[in-house]
Amino acid sequence: MFALVDANSFYASAEKVFDPALRRKPVVVLTNNDGCICALCDRAKAIGVKKFGPYHKASQQLARHGAVIRSSNYALYDDLSAKMMQIIGRFAPQQHVYSIDECFLDFGRWCPPQGWKALAATIKDTVYQELRLPVSVGIGLTPTLAKAASFAAKRRLSSPGVALLANPQVINTVLTSMSVQDVWGIGKRISARLQAMQIHSAAELAALPVAEARRAFNVEVARTVQELRGVPCLSWDAQRADKKQIYSTRAFGRPVTEAAELRQALAWHGEQVAEKLRRQHSAVKTLTCFAHANPFASEGHYHATRLHTFALPVSDSREIVRAITAQLPALYRQGIKFHKCGVGAIDIVSAKTVQPDLFSQLDSRPDVMACMDAINSRYGADTLGLAAKGNQPQWSMKRQFLSPQFTTNWKHIPKILC
Amino acid sequence: MLKVIPIFAQAGISGFESPAAQYRELGLDLDELLIEHPTATFIGQAQGDSMTGVGIFDGDLLIVDRAAMPTPLDVVVANLNGAFVCKLFDRKASALLSPGSGQQPYQLAEGDWFEEEGIVMRSVRMHRYVRQLARCLR
Repeated sequence: MFALVDANSFYASAEKVFDPALRRKPVVVLTNNDGCICALCDRAKAIGVKKFGPYHKASQQLARHGAVIRSSNYALYDDLSAKMMQIIGRFAPQQHVYSIDECFLDFGRWCPPQGWKALAATIKDTVYQELRLPVSVGIGLTPTLAKAASFAAKRRLSSPGVALLANPQVINTVLTSMSVQDVWGIGKRISARLQAMQIHSAAELAALPVAEARRAFNVEVARTVQELRGVPCLSWDAQRADKKQIYSTRAFGRPVTEAAELRQALAWHGEQVAEKLRRQHSAVKTLTCFAHANPFASEGHYHATRLHTFALPVSDSREIVRAITAQLPALYRQGIKFHKCGVGAIDIVSAKTVQPDLFSQLDSRPDVMACMDAINSRYGADTLGLAAKGNQPQWSMKRQFLSPQFTTNWKHIPKILC
Repeated sequence: MLKVIPIFAQAGISGFESPAAQYRELGLDLDELLIEHPTATFIGQAQGDSMTGVGIFDGDLLIVDRAAMPTPLDVVVANLNGAFVCKLFDRKASALLSPGSGQQPYQLAEGDWFEEEGIVMRSVRMHRYVRQLARCLR
């Protein structure tokens, strides 16, 4: 048996953990730069605001209902997520963390003496007891059915927060009420084609002959069909594949017009890319950097991109930032109100296979970089970095409604009235 | 929690091995003593003087366990009407006591919004100025 455990409106729920005044209020969390709504608690959903809409359009409506707005507080979410995964991991011999707020449990052939529903309820209650995070638990014969069960648990098709898809009758009822695009692994394009084949519900997909699913689509869809019938055939890789491209881009908190500011912002992104490269033991051959004006503004369209190819693949922050800085004259133009910039590593190789070059002028220092990464992981991001990015970023993200880092910063620990 | 005994690589050609090397053990770890349930524990800071009777003073750190077994009388952190408070909780009488301050017990009533958050297992006094915490002291 498999379980899928996921936190309900994770970001919004996380904001409520250490701020009891928020527990009964509608809470809305905004994305980077406070642009879009990325999470809503149940009370906020009840107002009728939609996820992924721009914040400025909904701000008045939210204010009318007394909603509390928060900027994304990734330090807090990451810490709570790690604790949540540890708690959930206690319940099964195998756990696969699928994203920041959901994970699969693989119970193998084990059967809980108290029954699956009771176990699901225990998982849910334990996470709430120890962390004050509400989760839903879906249990099924296969990962895909566990995901469907979790969907049912969220839609309150069964007792609140937990659902079990083990007996054929229940499976059929749930799959009949579930549209095909809500099946795990069925994307938008495949679901459109399925609809054209008159396959609308998950139950109809489960009835599709496996051979036909493979012929019409691919082996993945054929597996999904089998999984919906209760035959486990998905397995997750123990390790996530390395990223093929790494980007760091962001809109500015306010328009940027100075060359020095643009240079600092690009250097900042360069450092981010370099660090991510080192984390997966990769090096970059070709780098892109770009800067543009607001594409939605009525005037002043501007978009500049430059590629840089290294003679030898690098992952050294200094090399990368140096290369980006050299592109600045080509990217910057006076009078442009820059809205966004970014850096991307678009051609990545494994750092292990880099062939050194006798005549290379590069002065990569992996030891210095390893030391810097170690210091930053111990004392927090940006403890040590290149001076090129400046120390007072005026262009940085807008995070107007950021909550304290309750669990990761001594200065921010919750205050308790005595 | 992973515990690693630090043993440094040594080449066998120079000097003598320290006779104490084989007795090396892990140093004492305060977390082990103070935190029973790492995933269920959080740290807060006391503000106010109503709990001096149980030895909790303004600015002390409170180690709060959400998985500890309750007893009839515990020092707890609770959400009382939207704010975290630390009180001695008399579960039988549903009353919040403030020992040592002369304050009357607070009787929980129908209209109160009360959620018990966790039990204060330990408190930590800082007898000298702590730079890492200073900014959040009053």
